[in-house]
Amino acid sequence: MISLSDIPVRSRFQVYAPMAVMAAALSTAPWWLPAIGLYQYLGIEIAIWMIFALGFNLLFGYAGLHSFGHGAYLGIGAYAFGLFQQNVAVSLWGGLAAGILAAGLAGAIVGAFISHRRGIYYALLTIAFGQVFWFTSMKLYGVTGGEDGLLGIPRPPLTLFGLEYALRSNVALFYLAAFFLLATVLLMWRLVNSPFGRVLQAIRQNETRARFAGYEVWRFKWAAFVISAMFAGLAGGLFAMAQQSAYPDVMSLHQSGLIVMMVLVGGGLVSFWGPVLGVILYFVARDVLGGLTETWLLWYGMMFMAMVMLRPEGLAGMIHLGWKRLGGASEKPVILLAEKA
Amino acid sequence: MLDLLPHILNGLTLGLLFALIALGFTLIVGVMEVINLAHGSLFALGAYFALSLLGGMWFGDTAFGAWWLRLSIETRYVAALFVGPALAAIAGMALELCLRPTYGKAPLYGLLLTFGAALVIEEIIRLGWGTGEQNLMVPASINGPVLVAGFIYSKYKFFAAGFSIVAIFAVWLFLEKTPYGAIIKAGAHDSEMVRALGYDLSKLRLMVFGFGAALAGLAGIIMVPIWGLRPHVGIDVVIPAFLIIVIGGIGSFWGALVAAIMVGLAVGITGAYAGAWATMSMYILLIIVVGFRSRGLFGRKSALEN
Repeated sequence: MISLSDIPVRSRFQVYAPMAVMAAALSTAPWWLPAIGLYQYLGIEIAIWMIFALGFNLLFGYAGLHSFGHGAYLGIGAYAFGLFQQNVAVSLWGGLAAGILAAGLAGAIVGAFISHRRGIYYALLTIAFGQVFWFTSMKLYGVTGGEDGLLGIPRPPLTLFGLEYALRSNVALFYLAAFFLLATVLLMWRLVNSPFGRVLQAIRQNETRARFAGYEVWRFKWAAFVISAMFAGLAGGLFAMAQQSAYPDVMSLHQSGLIVMMVLVGGGLVSFWGPVLGVILYFVARDVLGGLTETWLLWYGMMFMAMVMLRPEGLAGMIHLGWKRLGGASEKPVILLAEKA
Repeated sequence: MLDLLPHILNGLTLGLLFALIALGFTLIVGVMEVINLAHGSLFALGAYFALSLLGGMWFGDTAFGAWWLRLSIETRYVAALFVGPALAAIAGMALELCLRPTYGKAPLYGLLLTFGAALVIEEIIRLGWGTGEQNLMVPASINGPVLVAGFIYSKYKFFAAGFSIVAIFAVWLFLEKTPYGAIIKAGAHDSEMVRALGYDLSKLRLMVFGFGAALAGLAGIIMVPIWGLRPHVGIDVVIPAFLIIVIGGIGSFWGALVAAIMVGLAVGITGAYAGAWATMSMYILLIIVVGFRSRGLFGRKSALEN
């Protein structure tokens, strides 16, 4: 199979075209979403999950660290946002900062525990920590509201240069989420193509060798974990606003697994845009398939299994290979590597 | 100390049941180096098959169905104890066939595939048996309360613990004293060498996966009268099972047993002081053990670390 390093990401055309398409699609979404029979709230949800998925892929696709408990950091962000509104002040920026910092702090602590581990042990420990957070959020009734969660979280107005915009409507909130999504795309793009991102990819390809090259591998693994937890926290803060509540369900193993599925199906292992495609595919499956049959999760699960068996490079990899076959017959075919992640 | 006794007893029973679940899990991890996240779903599947068998759901109004329902509950229960795991084994073998393309790739793919399979099996259960909580009947002779040293205790828990001990012992005998066990252990140690010696490795893997799935199904039938039967019981079960094999060391038989009893005791004793937090104790135990011994109590180096 092809890997992240096989798809050239630096060429001008491939980079900026998708970003422009994405910005255009996002800015016009409130008009075309109802036109194709969908609803405004879906746009918010997709934007939030894309932020989460892009942050997650820094860890999953680029660094090759397989976290199966990432829903926890989304949940922590959501709780922190809600608790900030209820106990400190009703403030958008304060709440989002609280969400990002809380998730980052949790990520820093967990990251310190697990960054010396490799392979499946890493994945198993992330499951265990994810479960600890999930369980705590359910049982710490006084703080988190138990299984019901925090209810009635307000959508504080956006204050910018002394001006105030209400975010009560879904369209307004969508534009906020879309803004953060574009910021995430740009930041992530910068990050994965920086020397830091290169080191992460080196760790994925061969951790021992990266260490021999003189990098303190565990610091990089730790930093990747913290950054990705912070993006999850941002997504969580927005999620709390969208749902106007925060509840333990998002931290469950089920949700943490879903994000892994989305990123893999989209092609996060081979492309920067994989998480974006994966999130779209998931929500299309949920809303279109879900409209046709109650058992859409069964079909999505089967599609996922087929994907892991036959095309682990996901949708982005398939598009890339198809593109090559169409356009670049003279180019050498992509070497299929059985990547040992 | 005496007040703690029932909790310790409770913890021990729980530990033995956990050991039964973890047994199939550790077998599959040991031989195939696949973390089977669908193990819990196979557990649930075994229990649901037993439920249908006991209720005669599949035979409908046929003459066979009528004859089946006239049999005593004990007979049907014993039959379910054999047929349920056998059907779970078939499901497990089908899963193994799906896993074949992931061999030789990073262990992540096996983990992902079985996660997808867990999702699919759970949905199939919802479709086939409904989403509600159900009860698995057990014969009256192993049900009801019993008095032990002044404490009222559930008879079924003793049956379940005893059954676990017998099953664990039987698996140990199978692994240690039969040629098949020797091949399985050799496969876990060095699968290439086993193949070079002329054993059909793919058949071995199929059989081991079926055997592990059968153990999961059996554990399901035994455990579900205590825990209740819901479609997502699989996820609830696979978590303790994988915690146990990580604590015990991946692929180690005795490690799994010791870890299972440790986890059972931790949950039982925490339950005495802070009932709501009982489940949390096993995660703490995992983090402590793995924090000090990265390969668990009895673990050896394995391909899963790459």
